[in-house]
Amino acid sequence: MPGIELKNVTKTFGAATVIDNVSLSIRPHEFMVFLGPSGCGKSTLLRMIAGLESVDAGEIWIGDRRVDQLAPGERRVAMVFQHYALYPHMSVRENMSFGLRNVRLPDAEIEKRVDAAAKMLEITHLLDRKPGQISGGQRQRVAIGRAIVKEPHLFLFDEPLSNLDAALRVRTRLEIAQLHQRVDAAMIFVTHDQIEAMTLAHRIVVMNNRKIEQIGTPMEIYSRPATTFVASFVGTPAMNFSPVELSDGPNGFVSARLPDGAIVATRIDKASLPASQSFKLGIRAESLDICPAGQGETVGVAQFVERLGDRTLVYVKLADGATIVAEDAGNSRVAINDQVGVKFDGSEAHLFDDQDRGHHAVLDGSAT
Amino acid sequence: MRTQLASGAVGRAFGDRLILAATIALAIVMVIPMLWAVGLSLKTNQELLVDTQSVLKAPWTLINYYDILIGSGVFRWLLNSIIVSTGMSLGVLVLSSLAGYGFARLEFPGRNVIFVLVLFGLAIPEQAVILVRHQLFSDLDLHNTYAGLMLPGMSAPFGVFLMTQYFKAIPTEIDEAAMLDNASRFKIFWRVLLPMTLPAQATLGIFTFLHAWNDYWWPMVSGTNQQMYTLTVGIASTQQNFAESAGLGYLMAQAVFASLPVLIVYMFFQKYIVRAVSGAAT
Repeated sequence: MPGIELKNVTKTFGAATVIDNVSLSIRPHEFMVFLGPSGCGKSTLLRMIAGLESVDAGEIWIGDRRVDQLAPGERRVAMVFQHYALYPHMSVRENMSFGLRNVRLPDAEIEKRVDAAAKMLEITHLLDRKPGQISGGQRQRVAIGRAIVKEPHLFLFDEPLSNLDAALRVRTRLEIAQLHQRVDAAMIFVTHDQIEAMTLAHRIVVMNNRKIEQIGTPMEIYSRPATTFVASFVGTPAMNFSPVELSDGPNGFVSARLPDGAIVATRIDKASLPASQSFKLGIRAESLDICPAGQGETVGVAQFVERLGDRTLVYVKLADGATIVAEDAGNSRVAINDQVGVKFDGSEAHLFDDQDRGHHAVLDGSAT
Repeated sequence: MRTQLASGAVGRAFGDRLILAATIALAIVMVIPMLWAVGLSLKTNQELLVDTQSVLKAPWTLINYYDILIGSGVFRWLLNSIIVSTGMSLGVLVLSSLAGYGFARLEFPGRNVIFVLVLFGLAIPEQAVILVRHQLFSDLDLHNTYAGLMLPGMSAPFGVFLMTQYFKAIPTEIDEAAMLDNASRFKIFWRVLLPMTLPAQATLGIFTFLHAWNDYWWPMVSGTNQQMYTLTVGIASTQQNFAESAGLGYLMAQAVFASLPVLIVYMFFQKYIVRAVSGAAT
């Protein structure tokens, strides 16, 4: 099963560059998720791989075949669209077999593949119905079935869950994960939903502003974000940021001084940091615990309290006017306008330099 | 609250009945002349010369229909009307679909300008071009031919506009899915998109057919040979003077005969016509 290689791919619409010199390798049978906000270029990149958008510069390879000059139907890719894109006048069976008939596969083979895919997706009873006669979730399965029967080298999913209700979205997400285990092909899944990305991906490509911000496993993206954008886009609530002054801490690590005077001892190796730069501290709410005033590194006033059941998020206004989000227990008694302390777990803190590069805590004796 | 709801419902029911009553009254006003024409066609011409009110009294007769069947050129005219109306409808459907697909889906230089030019066609009345067209068809030797009767109606700016809008309303994801399914551009048009425009095709086809069937002016100008008369021209030709009183029953029988195909078309495509008139099809 071939891998996919994008080499310096660029796309422009008129004067606007929508994909800017992107290079990327996808391994055989890998589940890759393109994650980013609307307009970041993730769908355009997917469509370029599919052949639905031309490539203005660069190359796309699937295995040992360069495909960027091939028609979409010749690339051995299958795509599941956001709005299903089923042919409304054809039955489910005809929808699934249309592509196979176009390549003149024998009828028996078409029937075999359609029946097998329908069985796998549990839509056998729908085969003679038209798309208008089935539910949204069933339509999405048919769209997936239409992709499966082609036995492609690469599946492309363009935000396929965004039209489904919350419960169905979770179920379909699981089914797509199971599908990936059953089929021998790589998958690229485009979404702006970080939960979908974190739960489905082997690796995530975080995109912003037409460029790749970071490629990594879900945990790498979450715990070692390469830029402030990645740090703030992935994870809920978004990471807290604050400008800091650095000083020497114990064991060669640095300590960070917040504007309100609080000192946070990090596990970031001083030797790994670039010299004479201004830094931003990034720290997630889960590394900031609410405690009685006076017991933590800093103190502030609770402005908002969000009770999530298993935990409580407290928005704390610090002395310098900045607001940070900290966590408390699910049964927290903190109320708005309470004076609270905030305890920093500096071992999970990140520093971002003025080039927006992330620096993280030492892992297994190696600094980044 | 409940009282308010109840009185609201009563008000609505009363309003509905009022509208229904008005609709029935209007329908009666529309239907009476048609029934009157049918009645006149069932009386002898001699009786009608004496008193047209005799329609309401027996005896009734099918003599006028018999005369049509054996004596008039109405069958020829009927055939002409069927050929011209069907041919024109098919032509409009084919040309409008292709043009609509082109305007909606293909990128080519001057597309928007050409589309606007086509739309200008909606604003040009037939009266403004009929002399030039007559001369042109004369030069091309197209008068008194089926092509001559059909061709002018095939340039249908409204059809092009309707089909363009309809194709535009189909998500491009459908085309893209078909491209990934290895379909050629023609196959995408023919097998995927065109069947999706059937409601619009039906609307356009029916209206073109009815328009062609009822058209009088151009067939009268172009089809001067009696063998090339369409029904409208043919029936009118049997009328000797404007306020005709002689041969009234025969004339009405021809009118009834002429309207039968349209009635049949209406019965088969009633759903599409109602939808088109109510605007739901577009």
